[in-house]
Amino acid sequence: MTGPLSRTNKLAGLVRLRSGPGAAILPHDVTRIHLEFNHKYNGGHMGPRKFWREALPGLKFWNPAVPMVVNRSNEKDAPATLTLYFREAGVKLPDLMQTGSATDGTSKAPAPVPGERAVQIHMKNRRSEAILKEFMDKSGAVPVKPTPQDELELRELADREAIGEIDRAVSLKQNEERRKEEEFLRRTRAALADSQANM
Amino acid sequence: MAPPNHCLAALARLSLTAPARPTTTPTIPKFLLPSATAPSPLVRYASMSKKRTKKRKTYKTFRCYDQSKAKKFSLCDAIRYIRAIEVGKPPADVKYEIAAKLRTQKNGPIIRGRIRFPFAVKTSTRVGVICPEDSPIAAEAQQLGAVAVGEESLFESIRAGNITFTKLICHPESADALKKANLGKILGPKGMMPSPKTRTITADLQGAMQELIGADEYKEKLGVVRLAIGQLGFTPHMLSENLKLFMSQLKHDIDNGDEYHPKALDEVVLSSTNGPGFSLNGTFSSSDEKVQPEHLQSVM
Repeated sequence: MTGPLSRTNKLAGLVRLRSGPGAAILPHDVTRIHLEFNHKYNGGHMGPRKFWREALPGLKFWNPAVPMVVNRSNEKDAPATLTLYFREAGVKLPDLMQTGSATDGTSKAPAPVPGERAVQIHMKNRRSEAILKEFMDKSGAVPVKPTPQDELELRELADREAIGEIDRAVSLKQNEERRKEEEFLRRTRAALADSQANM
Repeated sequence: MAPPNHCLAALARLSLTAPARPTTTPTIPKFLLPSATAPSPLVRYASMSKKRTKKRKTYKTFRCYDQSKAKKFSLCDAIRYIRAIEVGKPPADVKYEIAAKLRTQKNGPIIRGRIRFPFAVKTSTRVGVICPEDSPIAAEAQQLGAVAVGEESLFESIRAGNITFTKLICHPESADALKKANLGKILGPKGMMPSPKTRTITADLQGAMQELIGADEYKEKLGVVRLAIGQLGFTPHMLSENLKLFMSQLKHDIDNGDEYHPKALDEVVLSSTNGPGFSLNGTFSSSDEKVQPEHLQSVM
């Protein structure tokens, strides 16, 4: 079983989820979020993909009750859109029926039900930061400030990563030297065996 | 000219003949010599043949760690993190997984069993039945929904690599034929070889098939029992029901084990297909009072 130390180190990265780019609380009138983009990143789909990988987990953590559905497809010239659904003021919506995330493009953005309005954000050929900024503006989400404990954990995480970077460089150098020596020995031995065979 | 110590050695033997031992010093460093050539007789390796290796201590039990400082999570907290990490993944493909670490010896019997969850985790299981051909038993098996039924014809298709099923049952009347067919090499690695131990050689086809379709197998490997216990789309209550049943069955297995090889539960870790492992503390509710279980069951 994975040792407790490496598991603890992995869990230390959760602070990035709690205080990363997507750490924001959505207003109560946001009912659901739908994302649609391509599996392949070329053709302007890298930004949406980054938004999904970097910002959406934080949003989901702070807004666990809001359905966030990602529809990825392999279609050529597929759109890359984010759809935000808002509840109209004072309307009580029925239970929203919708399909879950899909990897075959079958979970298209549903049409807003009566009492709901949809706002679209075009994500194609845009960087994830720009998408996030527009998302924050249009949704009215309030960023979550990291707690002092989280700030401490973030600093510790950065420190450990810096130390890891140094260690990686050291072991890379050692391995290079070892490999070089082995290669030299192998070649010299082969040359020696050759010369002895010819004698 | 020989070095002075060699001259002294020759004088000591009161002789001016050539030294008994050849005095040639190797011109190539030793470490460069190919290993195939014989070592020079001058060189004596005192401890080459029986080089002492440091003896490593061997342990009879699997290593367990101190859990007192480990961070533990309630079920709802772990689910909240996992749902955040797995956001945007197809909810039927991503599974919640449990790893139950045991305090146990490395030798001795292992825990293995089968469990029928109240909420099935698997989405598709196809069963094959080995039984006398064209008998009432074969008809019964087909009625029960077996995808492949027969004896020699089934063996032939297995040998040809044409395996359409994921589980295999054998009727006791065909057990001897199965033994003679020598299919252990093909079926064994797939975990499909029928055996009375796994209750797959049985006369009660209906019971066995029901159990297989709705049942998941678990087995202790290196002191850990691992099992998928739910789909990402499950609600916290569904997952908790499955987890409760698994834990009670595992506890039963631990308590009814061999008295010479005692086992105990050390740690329970919940993870998901792509997520990290969360060590569970046995409680259900979230530590954040704003997050209720019903918030953790929206469409993924």
